[in-house]
Amino acid sequence: MRFFEIKWRSASQLIHGAKLNYLQDNSQKQDPVRPGEQWFFYWKTSAALWENRILEFPQHEVIFIPLYWGFHADSASTWDFGEIQPEKDLRRLTQLLLQHNRSFCWILPLTPAPFLPNGGVPAQGARTLSLSREGVHLAVLDHEEKLNKMFSFFDPKVFGAFNDFLENFSSFLFRHHIKAPLWGMEFSYLESGAVVSYIEDTSLAFEKGFSRYLKKNFPEGIDLTQTNEEEKLKARFIDEASGLFKGTAENILGPFWQGSILTVALGGSPRETIERSLTDGKNQYKFFDDLFNLHVKGYWISSALLLPEEKKELMPKLLSEHFGGQEIDQKFRYKTSNREFRPFGLIDLYTHAALPGFEKTGLIGYLFQNYRWMYQVHSELVLTRESFDRDQEKIKIFHGLGMDRTRFGQMLKLFLMGQKIILDKTNLDPELEKRLQVFYMENNLKVQSINFQTLMTITDLGEGKFVTYEGDKIKEGSESFKFWNHLFTFLGLTHPEVQLEKDVFSLWRIRDVSSQDLNFLDVRRVNFYNPTSYKKKITIKTKKHFALMRTIDPLKAEARSTTDGVEVDLLPFGRIALDFGHYEEL
Amino acid sequence: MSLHLIYHFHSSQNQDGEFRPARYKVVYFFSGQEFLEASFLHEMAKSVPEADHRELTFMSLDDIKAFALRVCQELGEDQARLVSVLDYNIALDGSKDRESLQKTLSNFGDLVGNEAPKRSSGLFGRLFK
Repeated sequence: MRFFEIKWRSASQLIHGAKLNYLQDNSQKQDPVRPGEQWFFYWKTSAALWENRILEFPQHEVIFIPLYWGFHADSASTWDFGEIQPEKDLRRLTQLLLQHNRSFCWILPLTPAPFLPNGGVPAQGARTLSLSREGVHLAVLDHEEKLNKMFSFFDPKVFGAFNDFLENFSSFLFRHHIKAPLWGMEFSYLESGAVVSYIEDTSLAFEKGFSRYLKKNFPEGIDLTQTNEEEKLKARFIDEASGLFKGTAENILGPFWQGSILTVALGGSPRETIERSLTDGKNQYKFFDDLFNLHVKGYWISSALLLPEEKKELMPKLLSEHFGGQEIDQKFRYKTSNREFRPFGLIDLYTHAALPGFEKTGLIGYLFQNYRWMYQVHSELVLTRESFDRDQEKIKIFHGLGMDRTRFGQMLKLFLMGQKIILDKTNLDPELEKRLQVFYMENNLKVQSINFQTLMTITDLGEGKFVTYEGDKIKEGSESFKFWNHLFTFLGLTHPEVQLEKDVFSLWRIRDVSSQDLNFLDVRRVNFYNPTSYKKKITIKTKKHFALMRTIDPLKAEARSTTDGVEVDLLPFGRIALDFGHYEEL
Repeated sequence: MSLHLIYHFHSSQNQDGEFRPARYKVVYFFSGQEFLEASFLHEMAKSVPEADHRELTFMSLDDIKAFALRVCQELGEDQARLVSVLDYNIALDGSKDRESLQKTLSNFGDLVGNEAPKRSSGLFGRLFK
């Protein structure tokens, strides 16, 4: 079967050789069908070309097929999945994918999707344009320089159409025994440092919906003279509406449903629509800054909106090295091999709600200065065997704010299993505080108390370390850095020390050792990128735990060994990767 | 090439127990090439009495015009176009792509002219332009 498939592919490629070459050459300039992240925009090309375009994906890659649900609306209540128009024939598309033994899954937008005309909403339901917080229409410049206008998801007609689409799509999948998994996707954009969902809206449709929501939830009326109160209620209404779209999709498409993922579209904010239209456009440094800030905040990104000239110089390399196949496999929980490099970080923080609390204690500033791009904020704690093995060495920092019994239990379990845990007890529920004392007693743990800027407790169990502190007592400013420095030194992070300027970016990956490697514990690869037009210098101190193994793929860059480690010179738009072997100090 | 300032009118509100009068807020301010630096705009807004220079909000349309004019003078630009978000939304509605948005924007809004554009821009202009 495998042989036949290879033979078949060879024949197919010979037959379509010329056309395929043309498409590949063309795709390097601009490929509207494959805009990034293994996505396949089936509606952007003729159905006759689907097969060739599918074959362009590397065999091992999972193909993600976003559902342009508005495209399948034949009228207000009829949906065409290929019965009438071949371009909408999703059955044929799945047959082609299966015929070529490709793994694939559907992506269902749960919010307006910035890469789709009308945000994906069928023309019949596209009545009210969405408005941003600033009162500006949500219009997004896509990868073909077209303006996609987002329509309000608060128009009851949109929910009706969405629900109808789901029912019909579900019947279609069952009828044709299509068993491919499906992910829901909530799209957002980044503006002024904040991640904003495309479902957020201030249009008339939203205001009418909010008014209905108030009447239903507060039948006796409510005083909204205070802006803050109104804002809180509006945020709750948006959350509930968002949950309604997600819940309905999960309910109707249950057997195929894998979960939902929040994705931030690079270049997709109302401000960027203007910025990307201007002569100079949005520069590479700004995109890098956005991308890395989203990365440390744990957000998944999409580069589908970027224009070919925006995906130039260092950007394609960065995307393929750190947001490509390996990361996609990990994000969507497909298995990855330990022999290949996988994303690597040192510190995980939980959760987004606690981020202002962490910032107040100086933790984020300290991490940015000392472990830049090596920490990540997560909204949820996923405990699987893979995640446990993968993240065993990471320090996990929790916050009392929003901590529930389940997360509290998971946190203590991680400590018992030998992990390093830090807990900021600010806003911790008194019940959980009591539970913590019982936990110490039940496990006969020795608790050491230290008073340094705040009251700290330290507990050991085998490899595991559990540290608590009261964050609200830590002094703001440079004093707090002393606290964090002592704490991280005590916890003993083993990693090269990197000194780099603010506008140089780096990301690390790790892999297990192979038989060709010396007696190392693991191999760590760092990629450095300089998206500025200035020369930059980087110093890496290996601290008697790491040895430089090799330099990979330098472009406008030079690395040299020093007594302390390695020094790197990066010219404008230069990049380099270095492999370090990790060894125990002799 | 002129500058573009997009502003949003906010009606009076009660916020945190305090009365906030009606105001005009700068949403976006850009030249034909790029967005103007926020720190530069905050500095320029200080020249307008009663303006909240951190929030870039102004008490009247005349104040926001005075601010735009001050920026023009500092950057040595001939004129600025003041576009309300309502007008900007109309421009967006009428545009299909990047090119048509650029064209439409260049015709929208109220012109504020700098009668004596400088050949060389001021200190901030040289720093931020």
